Amino acid sequence: MSTAGVRRGGTALTLIGLAGLIGLFWLSFFWVSTEVNQGVAQRIFYVHVPAAWTSFMAIGISALCSGVYLWLRDERLDRAALAAAEGGFVFATIVLVTGPLWGKIAWGTYWTWEPRLTLTLLLWFIFLGYFMVRGSTEDPEKGKRFAAVVALVGAIDIPFIHVSVLWFRSLHPQPVVAKAEGPTLPQDMLTTLLVGVLVFTVLFFGLFLMRYALEGLRAELQLRERRTSS
Amino acid sequence: MSTYLRQLAAIVRKDLVLEFRSKDRLVAMGAFAVLAAVLFNFSLDNASVRPRDVLAGLVWMTLVFGGLLGVGRTFHLEAEDDAFRGLMTSPAPKDAVYLAKVVVNFVLVYGLSVLALGVFSLFLAVDVGANLPGTLLVLALGALGFVALSTLFAAVSTGTTMGETLLPVLVFPLLLPMVVFGAGATGRLIAGRPFAEVAGNVRVLGAFAVAAVAAGAVLFRFVVEE
Repeated sequence: MSTAGVRRGGTALTLIGLAGLIGLFWLSFFWVSTEVNQGVAQRIFYVHVPAAWTSFMAIGISALCSGVYLWLRDERLDRAALAAAEGGFVFATIVLVTGPLWGKIAWGTYWTWEPRLTLTLLLWFIFLGYFMVRGSTEDPEKGKRFAAVVALVGAIDIPFIHVSVLWFRSLHPQPVVAKAEGPTLPQDMLTTLLVGVLVFTVLFFGLFLMRYALEGLRAELQLRERRTSS
Repeated sequence: MSTYLRQLAAIVRKDLVLEFRSKDRLVAMGAFAVLAAVLFNFSLDNASVRPRDVLAGLVWMTLVFGGLLGVGRTFHLEAEDDAFRGLMTSPAPKDAVYLAKVVVNFVLVYGLSVLALGVFSLFLAVDVGANLPGTLLVLALGALGFVALSTLFAAVSTGTTMGETLLPVLVFPLLLPMVVFGAGATGRLIAGRPFAEVAGNVRVLGAFAVAAVAAGAVLFRFVVEE
């Protein structure tokens, strides 16, 4: 597909995602029933959990594209890895903002060393390292290789971080969806959550494609500038 | 295979000879461990904190900070007079170069952590003799996992304009498993708990070290290629 086609697809997906976001907000503010113990504050759950899901999907995509980039050296794979990392960074930031806001009301404290919150914080720093490495090399090609190594090692390390933070006693609500005996979440809450996950995934891929197209256009521009100057 | 090991051993020997003759990193890291113990001693309020309870954490933090100080300079000497290019064009495979650097850094960082354990035990008057072999094993696995990751990223940071300042940002988030299981196990062993209680920790530490060495050996060639 041409860069212009990718950009159009990205814009369309982003617009669908933004429309879905309005729908999600309507569902979570007006439709879904209020949770008994935590009250209204629990509604932040429908933004918090989908954002977390999206940020971990993003590091997976970024690491996968990085690994194949190191193998095939196709510039498009590096662009995809960068676009996924930027998207993941944004959604991890959303998790780190909504988590403490919810925590203050649910647990009485902004920050606890809760496993999944800690994991997201470290994921955020892995993304930060990814961008810092890219930005601090004189040779862009070297920056791409270095960043790919950071994304890969980060993705390999995440299961270890997960195991180690779980080892500390957890304050976080226990899993309510992905359990062996089936979801225990009430039907309307589950529906809202699944709509949230779908909307955030669509929005992520919209932004991902737009960012990917932007990098493509930037590369084309550089190529043209080099041609006209020579 | 024997050629591979010979090449690896040659690089290890070269680096160890350089290290023991110049003594740059040896002295810097050793002094770091002792001075950290002095400063830690004066930063703790002995009336409210029992040194025995925090000793393991202090030893592990000294391993991480002091280790990074030394490992960050792994490629400096070779980068200065472009000797690294010579090493890269030598017939030794890239992973042998990486593993040799890991071996040398392991010697330094493990030495640092054992020194830190001894000095902290002396200065803070804590008896660490209860499970000494177990404690030394835990520190060895931790030091191996640490050098595997930090040697790979030392090569990355040496190639950037930021240099060593970038190293903590890249390495610290990845070290969390090592610190959680390592400091946890060390603390219990120092407190005199049986080794069986921390066997699970030791297994995770070992798995972490193996995964880190394997990832580093595979990925190092992509960092140093010209």
